[in-house]
Amino acid sequence: MGRYAFAALSVGLLLLAALLDAGSLPLYVLFLLTAVVTVGVCLLMGYAGQVSLGQGAFYACGAYTAGVLATQGCPSVLALAAAPLVAALLALLVGVPMLTLRGHHLAFATLATHLIFLSVIGEMSIAGGDVGLQGIPPLAVGPIAFDSLRDYAFLACLTLLGVMLLVNNLLDSRPGRAIRALSSSEAGAAASAVPVGRYKLAVFALSAAIAGLAGGIYAFQIGYIAPGSFPVLLSIGYVVMAAIGGLGTLFGGVVGSAAVMLLVHLLSRLATLGRMPPTAPAILSYAVYAAMLILAVLFLPNGLMGVASSLYARARHRPAR
Amino acid sequence: MSAFVSYVVHGIAVGCGFALLASGLIIIYRVTRVVNLAQGTFAVAAAFLAATLLGAGVPHGLAELLTVLVAALLGVVAGVVTIGKPGTSPQASLIASLGLSIFGYAVEILLWGDQPRSFAGLTGSFELAGVELPKQYALIVVITLLVFGLLDAFFELTYLGKALSACASNPYAARLVGINVVGMSLCGFALGGALGGVAGVLLTPMSPVSYDTDVLFFVNGFAAAIMAGLKRPLYALGGGIGLGVAESLVAGYAKASYQSAFALLLTVVIVVVQSLRSPSARMSEE
Amino acid sequence: MNVIEVQNLIVKYGGATALDGVSLAVSPGEPVALVGANGAGKTTLLNALSAVVRPAAGQIRIRGRFAHVPEGRQLFPDLSVDDNLRLGAYRVRDRETAWIYRILPELERTRKQRAGSLSGGQQQMVAIGRGLMGQPDVMAIDEMSLGLAPIVARTLIRVLGELNRERGLAVLLVEQSARLAFSLCTRAYVLDAGRLAASGTPRELIDSGVLSDVYLGAADRVPA
Repeated sequence: MGRYAFAALSVGLLLLAALLDAGSLPLYVLFLLTAVVTVGVCLLMGYAGQVSLGQGAFYACGAYTAGVLATQGCPSVLALAAAPLVAALLALLVGVPMLTLRGHHLAFATLATHLIFLSVIGEMSIAGGDVGLQGIPPLAVGPIAFDSLRDYAFLACLTLLGVMLLVNNLLDSRPGRAIRALSSSEAGAAASAVPVGRYKLAVFALSAAIAGLAGGIYAFQIGYIAPGSFPVLLSIGYVVMAAIGGLGTLFGGVVGSAAVMLLVHLLSRLATLGRMPPTAPAILSYAVYAAMLILAVLFLPNGLMGVASSLYARARHRPAR
Repeated sequence: MSAFVSYVVHGIAVGCGFALLASGLIIIYRVTRVVNLAQGTFAVAAAFLAATLLGAGVPHGLAELLTVLVAALLGVVAGVVTIGKPGTSPQASLIASLGLSIFGYAVEILLWGDQPRSFAGLTGSFELAGVELPKQYALIVVITLLVFGLLDAFFELTYLGKALSACASNPYAARLVGINVVGMSLCGFALGGALGGVAGVLLTPMSPVSYDTDVLFFVNGFAAAIMAGLKRPLYALGGGIGLGVAESLVAGYAKASYQSAFALLLTVVIVVVQSLRSPSARMSEE
Repeated sequence: MNVIEVQNLIVKYGGATALDGVSLAVSPGEPVALVGANGAGKTTLLNALSAVVRPAAGQIRIRGRFAHVPEGRQLFPDLSVDDNLRLGAYRVRDRETAWIYRILPELERTRKQRAGSLSGGQQQMVAIGRGLMGQPDVMAIDEMSLGLAPIVARTLIRVLGELNRERGLAVLLVEQSARLAFSLCTRAYVLDAGRLAASGTPRELIDSGVLSDVYLGAADRVPA
């Protein structure tokens, strides 16, 4: 990803974290965390070519790991650190048998993973069961306590930027190039002696860890989580945002999340004006989600980033990447 | 003992519904190679429409028939969106069908609100092995067997049915012979829609349906379809009933909330085992 | 009035040009061969005639009904032989198959069998029968002899010859094996890397040596 573009993004995101009014911060933090997960989805779907309809399970896994550990007395930093690790472990556990699957079978299995996870966690009393886990203490790193929403905004910002850097450097490395080969042709990658299975699993676990980290931060920020906080629609939402942003790019995760969340938020605000029924926000969000997804997948296979890069290329009279 | 009988019969009835959903999925998949994530949406929309028609005084039988016809139309709409644009890959079609199911939420909430709905089916009960069971169960089984019989006759005996099968097995040759593959695909979608509609109409009297029940319908329907290898609708009947009975027993003797997790786990296991056993099937999905 | 007329046909697949300005014609009742090495573009030409691929440029005119018997037979494997034949009549109203079994008597005993379970030669007969069911004026057959024992291929050629003489069916025979095609056809086109290398009677083509050039590569030939 372009150095200047990344620098501009970093400055922009941090400025927003510093300057946004308190009323807008909850949406901003949610956007940042969503973007983190979506970057992981872009990595998985765009570069490794695997379709996952269950990333929400790893987000939830991270949130519950951090939440349960913290409420059981574990220092919050360790609890947060454990979140991505446990999510990655879960991914490895379900990933090994799912490695053999393709296309719609994999999509179904990942969807099933999310549903099964919700079912199981709803039964665990240590996680609060169906009612949920309450009283998660705020994050504290040594003497630094994260007790205001703005603190979490900065944390989420740095996490997003850090994850983008990490993934970018990974993709530029030798194993990274092998991963990119997976998306174009598995048979070709296998023929060039790339250990396809292992790399697929590694990317799957990495994207899960990324989602788990975001989930952990979410748990500390919001203080209360329940199975109902992580509906299947969440997993689907990540795919929508990744598809709209552009699957094979890192900026796509950020752009897609921003585009979808902004649009949905605007429409929700519109719906609460005037004499709209209480279900109007839900109706509009679903309709917009759905329309954007269908239009993106049928007409913009490379997402908004694809549109942007071809416009850029045309402006510079150079062939698109 | 009577508890066991009632669990099993309940499971058979629900399983028939799963089998109907599965056969819709299978037909659409075989003709177009698309896994239709909106299959559950057909059933939910049908349930709501039937409830509205019955509530407005339309007699039983007619209301359900009209509903199934509308469901078939919805199927065609789904077909147009998922495969109407030439060059849409099966993966893109899958995601487009996902988009349709979400759009379905918006329409359903707009027209019917976000609360669960049900309607009365066949009232009264009958006795089997000393246990009193709702007549609706018997209706479901009878209608399902009828539908499957008709489907089998359609594909085995009619020219159109054979043309549809041909499209499914070799779309290139079908084109050469003059079969309009897109038209046939939409026919397949119409059938899938109708089958989803029948499932919705039959299952709703047993338990209320809300806009997000489509996930449950799809997951169970797909599970049964997978057990049939996404090939013969008749095998889906066995798979669906088996799944329904297993879930019912789990709900009855273990915990009700475990039943869908169980179904999912079972399906994933079957899918993985199938994949391991036939590497050629894996490759051909790309 | 030619039953097939192709003028300056250009077909592209993405960036690659499969057919680069090909022209050919088939008259009513004429058996014509289209020969060339693997990858020369023969199948692409037939696909263009069937409107399966859209040409980038050029004209195609077909007067009458066109049947395309594809490479590799491409039957409907799970349907019976009888069903396969009857599907061939999709465009016409007459679904009667008796006449096909008279022309291809070997298929009579396989009527109810799954098409996918037949031998290669039988499958090729079903494919030809399916094409005939459409009551075509011209039939194009792609790589009929592929994978078949020579005696089977000769039997099929004989059947085609009878159809050509007795029913006036024009035939466009696409073959890698020029010799087999020449045993039936009175005129031939030679396709090489998407271009028409030569055309004429079999005698003319053999004498001119263009065939060995195209298949084996002449030492002094400038690469296309």
